[in-house]
Amino acid sequence: MTDTLLAAEGVTKEYSIGSRTIAVLRGVDFALARGETVALLGSSGAGKSTLLHVLGLLDSPTAGRVAFEGRRVDDLRIDERARLRHARIGFVFQFYHLIPELTAYDNVRLGSMMDRGLFAWLRTRRALSARSKDLLERVGLGERTSHRPAELSGGERQRVAIARALIAEPAAILADEPTGNLDSKTAADVLDLLFGVSRERGLALLLVTHDEALAKRCDRVVRLHDGRIVD
Amino acid sequence: MYRWFLALRWLVTRPINLLGVLAVTVGVWALIVVVSIFSGYLTEIGRHLQSSTSDATVVRLPDDARFARIEEVLRRDPNVAAVAPRIVWQGLVHPLGDDAGKAPPPAGMAELGAPTPFVAILGVDFEKERDVSGLDAWVKDVADGSVRASDPANPLAQVGDLPAVMLGRQRMQDDGARRGERVKVTTGRLVADRSGERLDFDDGEYVAAGAFESSFAAFDAFNVFVDIATLRAQLRSGERRVPDDWCNEIAIRLHDPRDAEATVARLTRLLDAIDDAPRGPGLLVRTWAEANKAQIGNVEHQRSLMKLVLFVIMVVAAFQVYSTMSMTVTEKQHDIGILTALGARRAGVLSLFLTSGIAIATVGAVLGVGLGCLSAIGLDDFNTAMRAVFDVDLFPVRVYNLKRVPYELDPTWIGQVAGVAIALGALVAAVPAWRASRHDPAVSLRND
Repeated sequence: MTDTLLAAEGVTKEYSIGSRTIAVLRGVDFALARGETVALLGSSGAGKSTLLHVLGLLDSPTAGRVAFEGRRVDDLRIDERARLRHARIGFVFQFYHLIPELTAYDNVRLGSMMDRGLFAWLRTRRALSARSKDLLERVGLGERTSHRPAELSGGERQRVAIARALIAEPAAILADEPTGNLDSKTAADVLDLLFGVSRERGLALLLVTHDEALAKRCDRVVRLHDGRIVD
Repeated sequence: MYRWFLALRWLVTRPINLLGVLAVTVGVWALIVVVSIFSGYLTEIGRHLQSSTSDATVVRLPDDARFARIEEVLRRDPNVAAVAPRIVWQGLVHPLGDDAGKAPPPAGMAELGAPTPFVAILGVDFEKERDVSGLDAWVKDVADGSVRASDPANPLAQVGDLPAVMLGRQRMQDDGARRGERVKVTTGRLVADRSGERLDFDDGEYVAAGAFESSFAAFDAFNVFVDIATLRAQLRSGERRVPDDWCNEIAIRLHDPRDAEATVARLTRLLDAIDDAPRGPGLLVRTWAEANKAQIGNVEHQRSLMKLVLFVIMVVAAFQVYSTMSMTVTEKQHDIGILTALGARRAGVLSLFLTSGIAIATVGAVLGVGLGCLSAIGLDDFNTAMRAVFDVDLFPVRVYNLKRVPYELDPTWIGQVAGVAIALGALVAAVPAWRASRHDPAVSLRND
């Protein structure tokens, strides 16, 4: 098994708007090793989120290839990509994207239901419920499990999102500006948590940001400009 | 698993879903209540018609028909339990001194059971008639002692030197008629002479011996009972020859009414086979259902039309579910994105929203069935209370010629209504669900 967990080779992504074609990614080569933390830096519109979506199999490249653990995955059927995404990749977004009708506990638990049918989930629900609670304890929300997102602060919501990303025991976490919506103190706490769990569990972490200071905490910094990696 | 989990959570936490539930509930409720009332009405009039007509009748008997001979033939069939002769004749009943030829009241009033002198005069042999129809019970069950027959066991017996006539209870009440009051019963008949046909009237003086009351007010309003021998004598006046045991209709009570159609076929063959059978132009043996086909068919047709009209409410409810689901899909684009990021497949997203639509329709259908059944059962009491408290009659039973608001809850119909509601919910939810499943998660998760 290769040490590279996730790789992009010559990835191009173009969008068509009417008769115009806009290239957001232009032949990007990128690799994320197992357990590595990488900051993807770039100004707004540089293509950071698009690259994260392509690497996370949420979007398909127009050209080039994406590989996971050495196997090409961008050409997999949509359901196979969903299965791989669920099992191996966790996401954390700037705007948390929690389900507003669910409590913190249910939002985390939801992540464990995705690949289980009713009976399979009923068989394993005790263990999964315990895991959800453990994760919420780990992110410091053991006392806030029954609160809905609207009753939580921005930092708490992001902690719930991190717990949710961890529930399926992924190999990599792709975080899209996870502190972009938080004040500096809360942002620092959330980052500590993110780097902490990444180190504890040996997870690869790809952090999309435009914050130079934050990027320096990662093992490596990759800069994206106008759809190309510049260093 | 997440499909059920989220669909149920959305159902109970999103107020907009209550609109969809409410719309389906109202649609199902209306279909169950209205159709159950129509079905109850049909059953009620069916029961009455069977009770008044008897299980089967022989009609279109010719002028020389002899009851005794036909009865002997009919009784050969093992399913025939009782047979009774009848003379059914059109006529008028009015107080003594009234002009027999006065104009009838407006047709609308007659439909509402308003007093009218025009009636069907039913000449019956009470001893035989009690075995084939509900007349015995209709006489005995009259609660009002002032109009109840003096001798319910023999209500058509002569009163003094005059023959008896039994009137409907409501007619007696509306006319202010009292038991023992003298009335004139006028019969008419067409007489042919050199100048063509003319209508001759024969008057008879009777005593109102008491009232009868069936379950159907229209029957009570337009029918009176007299002794068959008396009516036969009245019709015999002038040149007309009427045999001693002549009748123009024979009522038959069957041991097993469910076998009526086969029995009627056998009886037809029996009557056709005898040499001296009455050979009228169209002697006919028919079941009570055939005899009242037009009346029952009319109500059934109205019920079908009402089903069609009320189905529109269901379609409107389906549109409400559609708009609810459509709005949900639009509002939930971020959720769809995150579910996809968590590993949801297209089929999973589709079935999540489909399950939501079905859940809305199912809850609405269950509530509609429950409320519909309770409303149908309690409508008569509710109507009585509304009448007593607000003087508002939601279901004027006299208009429908009934004593109480009828209902009949048919489990098959209830199942069909609930099934159609749920199927419609699934059908209309499929469109927004499909849209949700085609949603590009990268669009809803993009920050910029």
